[in-house]
Amino acid sequence: MEILFYGIINSISLALMALGFTLVYGISRVPNFAHGALYVFAGFLTWIILNKLGLPYPLAILLALICSALLGAVISMGVLVRIRGMEMSEVIATYALGVAILEGFRWAGFKGMTYTLPPFFKGSVQILGVPIDYQRIMVVVLGVAVLAALWLFTRLTRMGLALRGIAQDERAAMMLGIDSDFAATIAMGIGCALAGLAAVILLPLGNIVIEAGYNVLIFAIAVCVVGGLGSWGGAVIASFVIGFAQILTVAYIRPQFQMVVALLAILVTLIIRPSGFFGRQKELEERV
Amino acid sequence: MIEARDLMVFYENMIAVNNVTLHCDDGQIVGVFGANSAGKSTLMYVLSGIILDIQRKERMRGGERVTVFSKITYAGKDISLMKPHERAREGIILCPERRRIFPESSVLENLKIGAYLASKEQAKETLDYVFSLFPTLDRLKDRQGGFLSGGEQQMLAIGRSLMAQPKLLLLDEPLLGLAPSIQKDVIRVIKEIRRDRRISIIVTEQYARPVIPIVDYAYILENGSAVMEGKGKELMNNPDVKAAYFGV
Repeated sequence: MEILFYGIINSISLALMALGFTLVYGISRVPNFAHGALYVFAGFLTWIILNKLGLPYPLAILLALICSALLGAVISMGVLVRIRGMEMSEVIATYALGVAILEGFRWAGFKGMTYTLPPFFKGSVQILGVPIDYQRIMVVVLGVAVLAALWLFTRLTRMGLALRGIAQDERAAMMLGIDSDFAATIAMGIGCALAGLAAVILLPLGNIVIEAGYNVLIFAIAVCVVGGLGSWGGAVIASFVIGFAQILTVAYIRPQFQMVVALLAILVTLIIRPSGFFGRQKELEERV
Repeated sequence: MIEARDLMVFYENMIAVNNVTLHCDDGQIVGVFGANSAGKSTLMYVLSGIILDIQRKERMRGGERVTVFSKITYAGKDISLMKPHERAREGIILCPERRRIFPESSVLENLKIGAYLASKEQAKETLDYVFSLFPTLDRLKDRQGGFLSGGEQQMLAIGRSLMAQPKLLLLDEPLLGLAPSIQKDVIRVIKEIRRDRRISIIVTEQYARPVIPIVDYAYILENGSAVMEGKGKELMNNPDVKAAYFGV
């Protein structure tokens, strides 16, 4: 029972971490290696606004998310638009930016275990004999809500539909009047806001540490590689596969092996099926 | 409506479009005919501005050097340097070769993505119009674009372009790979679109015979140059053209 509940929570946490990454990649084919840095950025920013400026918690979260989105948009407009299409440059540029952000925080003195965000609600409940704190329930609720909101956004709004068009065939979308650079910037903004959202939802469960940036990036990449890069459905399924694999590893082997599971998942996927296990796009192309 | 003077496009040192001048009046259907690699698609890319995007991407990658000389006036404005999405906003919509349907989106969603530039009322009105033109699409509304047949995809591509509220519709080889009976449908629809929506249309095709009865004016491209031009009927009676493009 415990494994089931914590597996679900862990899986949804992974999905939250990976969602922004897969969204950006799916729409603009940019592997955003600064994703983890944006996660930590949002965490520290929330902490700063909360503790140094003394603003209320919800407002701090909102401000941090807006700042993450803006930072993402600035990165997209200032850097990525100029190098789009050159994959190696995109990886190097985003990774460099990510490291700069993370090490910038370290340089500014944000290290150690002293930085924590308060949970949204304190306390815990017993569900079928398993104690679960409210924050973890919030993870599940908000995770599902974010997924649903994104699904609706890309199906019902003009901008969301335009992003779907760009994701599938950039030039065909351009012919219909959709500005691909603008769409890439919007996608990057949303992706980074999602990284920030994952941070404010997940960080109250532990400390804000610089290393989380690198871990989140690896988790996000693992989920996306296993699920098929750019495929949302695949990413969600993959988070459940990896999420449960991690929890089982923690329960039956050793807790330290969590990261190994993610890395192993990347390796195995790349050896067996490099396009990912749940990517639908390739399949379709083969049929037509 | 649109006037393109002295268009020149080079891919590296190969000339793709050589000194072509093309003209399309309000409400006209203009045909551009030519064999493979005559420069039809490149010409469409120049008119729609896609060539500028190709040029930019190739330059960023350090790939092929694309050189474009163009002077295009559209509705009295010089649009030679306008980006493709800005031209689309002005009403120049390209319905590309090989259709380029969004394969993972349903038919309805393809059309909705097409309506990016349309207002809510326009989108609704055009959607009804597209379904009245192509009842098949109405029936297949929820099918994924990638699973449609070639003819259905072509209908969808035309419908999607219409959703973008074109004033000048560029149809690049709309008959490519279609059965003769479906070709006839598409031709009929092109005529209907012009009649119902007062849209100017430039259509390219390899094989002129099915298209030439509906065009007002036609150009014939060979190796990038416009070797002949004239009213549709005149061209049809020209013996050289007959031999080369009608398969007589």
